[in-house]
Amino acid sequence: MTAVMKMKRAIAQAAALVLLGTVAGLVHNGFSANGIDPFRKLDDVPVYDNGGKPLGETNPETHDGICYVSFREFREIVDAGYPILDARTSDEYKSGHIPGAMLCDYFEMGRHFETVLPRLSPEERIVIYCSGPRCDDSEMLARELYNMGYTKLCVFRGGLEEWDEAGLTLEYGPEEAWE
Amino acid sequence: MGISRRADTGDSGLPGLLFEVSGGAGRRQLLLLAFRVVLAAVFIYAALQKVGKPLLFADEIGMYGIVGPGSLLYLIAIVLPWIEMLCGLALFTGIFIRGAALILAAMNLVFIVVISYRTVGIMTADGTPLRQIYFDCGCGFGPTYAWKKLIGDTLLLVFSVAVLFSPSYRFIAGRGKG
Repeated sequence: MTAVMKMKRAIAQAAALVLLGTVAGLVHNGFSANGIDPFRKLDDVPVYDNGGKPLGETNPETHDGICYVSFREFREIVDAGYPILDARTSDEYKSGHIPGAMLCDYFEMGRHFETVLPRLSPEERIVIYCSGPRCDDSEMLARELYNMGYTKLCVFRGGLEEWDEAGLTLEYGPEEAWE
Repeated sequence: MGISRRADTGDSGLPGLLFEVSGGAGRRQLLLLAFRVVLAAVFIYAALQKVGKPLLFADEIGMYGIVGPGSLLYLIAIVLPWIEMLCGLALFTGIFIRGAALILAAMNLVFIVVISYRTVGIMTADGTPLRQIYFDCGCGFGPTYAWKKLIGDTLLLVFSVAVLFSPSYRFIAGRGKG
């Protein structure tokens, strides 16, 4: 077999492997708990800063999209009993989280949705946080939830970092605690 | 050199093979086998770390700033680990060896370019010396020093090219022709 024929064979085999890998990846993604729709539109989600008004002045009925909330507003939401989602990993959650928060690791959200979604209502506000201002997992999770019909979303950018700096209590323990 | 010529025909039984491995051609085939096993082990392990975690892998790819958020990024994150897995299995079993080696050579070349790009970006942004640049390249092996990763990927590229341009293969499953 000549070198040209060997290279032609290599290209044909490579094309077959890429095709097979693509099919396997898409099929597995379709059945996996953490599978995603690669064509979903995350950029179309309305994100606003509450028009500069305190969140308390916003009508919950007209709240549509992702709203960033300050530390004070976040505490008001926590006190009001709205559901809180922790978008960090399971290990981070176990090592300390905001009391009452439910674990919903953004990177494994499909798995967590099975236990989290039954506790959420599209009609009520949902507040999400992650590690701190440099983390965007809370906003990414909020965008995913918006596409699923949960339209009253609040993101606390300060995250656990700001909560911890304020000296407020943390809750420790496994994710099973609230499941 | 009848023995060497026979080793290149890709047509021998076990007795012939045992005889050949004692010669120069046999040593070359053992070396190629070692390259194949290393490549297969590395890429199968890397694939297993990423399969079923498309969001995490997409986030790691996104760190390079080469493919922006969107459908292409997510498709790469869904498909790439499976291609790595199939290439690893192909090298291990001996089915489609040449095609798998071609893909892995191309992949390693791309990895070297993008890791170098990110490394140079960090060096120029904050003046961090090369030996201190440490990040998770998204390769499936966790955070490591960039220079170590670049050396590792260069070795894997050399192994892939050696397998790709080998005139023949031994230790293959069934009657595969590589």
